[in-house]
Amino acid sequence: MTDMKKQRIGFTCAYTPIAIVDAAGFVPYRVLPVTDVPDQAGRILHDNLCPHVKRVLDRALENDLPEDLTGMIFMNSCDAMRRLADAWMTVRPEDHVMILDLPTTGGRTDIAFFAKELERLSHTLAAWSGNPIAADQIARSVEQYNQIADNIRTLNEFLAQGKLKGSGKRLQELINQATSAPFADSLTLLDAEIRNNQLNPARQNGIPVFLFGNVMPDPDFFSLIEDCGVQIVGNDFCTSTRMFENLPCTDKETLFTEISGQLLNKPPCARTFDPARPGKIADDVIQRAKSLGAQGIIGHSLKFCDPYLARLPMVRDAVQGTDIPLLLLEGDCTLRSFGQQRTRIEAFVEMLR
Amino acid sequence: MMKQYFDDLVNGIEAKLKEDPGSMSPRKIYALEVAKIGRRLYGGEERVAWCGVTAPFDLLAAMGITSCFVEFIGAMLASTGMVSEFLAEAEQAGFAGDTCAYHKSVLGAARKGLMPVPDFLIATSCPCTGGLAVMETLARHFQKDLFVLNIPQEETQQSVQYLADQIRDMVNFVSNHTGEALSEDRLREAIAHTNKAREIMVDVYKMAMNVPSPANGRLLGNFGIVVALLLGTKAAVDVATVYRDSFKEMLEKGISGIPDERIRLLWIQNRIQFKNPLIDILETQYNASIVSDELNDITWDPIDPDDPYIGLARRAISIPFNGQGSRRIKHLQQMAKDYKIDGAINPCHWGCRQGSGARGLISKGLGEVGVPVLNLEVDCIDSRNFAEGQLKTRLEAFTEMLDHRSSPWEA
Repeated sequence: MTDMKKQRIGFTCAYTPIAIVDAAGFVPYRVLPVTDVPDQAGRILHDNLCPHVKRVLDRALENDLPEDLTGMIFMNSCDAMRRLADAWMTVRPEDHVMILDLPTTGGRTDIAFFAKELERLSHTLAAWSGNPIAADQIARSVEQYNQIADNIRTLNEFLAQGKLKGSGKRLQELINQATSAPFADSLTLLDAEIRNNQLNPARQNGIPVFLFGNVMPDPDFFSLIEDCGVQIVGNDFCTSTRMFENLPCTDKETLFTEISGQLLNKPPCARTFDPARPGKIADDVIQRAKSLGAQGIIGHSLKFCDPYLARLPMVRDAVQGTDIPLLLLEGDCTLRSFGQQRTRIEAFVEMLR
Repeated sequence: MMKQYFDDLVNGIEAKLKEDPGSMSPRKIYALEVAKIGRRLYGGEERVAWCGVTAPFDLLAAMGITSCFVEFIGAMLASTGMVSEFLAEAEQAGFAGDTCAYHKSVLGAARKGLMPVPDFLIATSCPCTGGLAVMETLARHFQKDLFVLNIPQEETQQSVQYLADQIRDMVNFVSNHTGEALSEDRLREAIAHTNKAREIMVDVYKMAMNVPSPANGRLLGNFGIVVALLLGTKAAVDVATVYRDSFKEMLEKGISGIPDERIRLLWIQNRIQFKNPLIDILETQYNASIVSDELNDITWDPIDPDDPYIGLARRAISIPFNGQGSRRIKHLQQMAKDYKIDGAINPCHWGCRQGSGARGLISKGLGEVGVPVLNLEVDCIDSRNFAEGQLKTRLEAFTEMLDHRSSPWEA
């Protein structure tokens, strides 16, 4: 395993069980849609696919990836992600690729099925590395992963209290690093960040606003929002806090079932839902905004993202029944159109004052 | 409005057939049976379920449920020229213009009260994410219970069992709403109808492969996807039988779907659902015949009446839109070979991430077997941006190119 130890396995979705990747001796590496390479994925996919998958494919096309990235794990999370997996296998045929079938609901049969998928992942990673993965290793990785999740949560609370130096931008930088570095390195970094900030005084830096959406990994996005007079009291993006939700691991005999149940029932991306409560995403957004004392909500979705675009009207309808104003923005993973959006955010904040 | 439309359609076709039995064509019988589904959906007298595309319609029929995938309504609204106002309604309600117009039109129709209130909804995760989202939205809109079938991406013993278990749970869900248990006899009868229709459709598709083909751009358009709504009923067997008999007679008499067929085309994914002249142009100006649609195929084995859930699960998993793109491409390559296809047309329905997202790889895959693909940029439902002139030019250039090259299937 030694020669494989530092190899990276890429992933693109917050549902990826990265603790199992870590347990296999690989470094889980989130391939973020952040790159300066030219836009060209549309010739393989279609220009109307979401910018997240297009930019990730652009990185593959231009080999804008770490040299030690030798495989990818894709989640069957949405149409665009499935098509990205297809394209990846064509563009980088030498990579190991696995697609995990992720149910859209979290019922009894779904949890059992996904647990088997996690077991398949474990076997596949073992085959890639040449070494079996023991339950103890997974348990240790889950424990480390949970420490990272705890730290991210603490730093998120610092942000809400206005005591995190560097604010939302800094938090996103840390999360980006935590999704691409060895767990131990991430823990060292996050521990230091907590120590450096915990004695800072709480401050009210602007109008308290709750952010939600899908993919927005650019740290500058958060500082631009804050520059408009916003204090981010909480956020819910695939690329931010939703990436790190604690996993249970109480019984090594049933650990895949435990992890499966937690992943399928964690605070969801729009693609996962509870059929007993259709449109729950709308109620969740309002409930979280209220619990955080937000005076406004800003939703940011990528263009062409069906899971979100189809459900935002439900959020809009539900928010109309409350006294919390909502601003919906659409973007492409970059800040290229932020000039226009800034005007809208400033007007929104002005209205909230 | 829709009830009147379907009533008129059923009455009109029946009157025509009564008046002139010689005018009976397979397409007319098919249209009649499909219109009857519409009439039942909008009649207000039957239990109705709005569904996803890969729901087990035969099983639901056996439980006394009139069920239909919602995209069917989008296609109907487009074909009748009424869709624009419903698209506008959905867009005003915040549904993005970039999303699938099949779904937007249905959401607009629901908001305008034009979709019958269902007894419940059954969503399917295949073929698309957008379809699943629209079912969740409709469930919230109608305040009706929703059941979700997660269709696994690949067929394995484990995945088939997972889906079979979900279908069993679905039966309980339906029974809880109807207060009636599933009758084993009715299920057996439905499965027998499905298997019989399947057997005949295999023959129909085989005959359509003939050179020249008895099929043309209209006879089997949308057939494979819509006929699923009839499965489990005698209507499916009747429709398939009329097609088989008609094609058999045509082949015996040496009649082809279009005169002097020169170019054989495969239509990928969705047809353009609103009235347009493209098929006419292909057939009359270029002797180009669309001899098959991508979904006009039987990808599943007969269903074992003693263990139907496994067979129903396998069928749903087997559809070409499911799973990895490589599987879909392999299926298209096989169809191209079976039908001796000269060229394929992919409309790349705007807003369809599932379908158009694979267009580059489909072009490459069919190119590997010598079949060029024409990728169009068209919304199959929304006629507001239909660029007829541009599309005509591209079709003309494509067919001229095909006309000047030899068939990839010539020895």
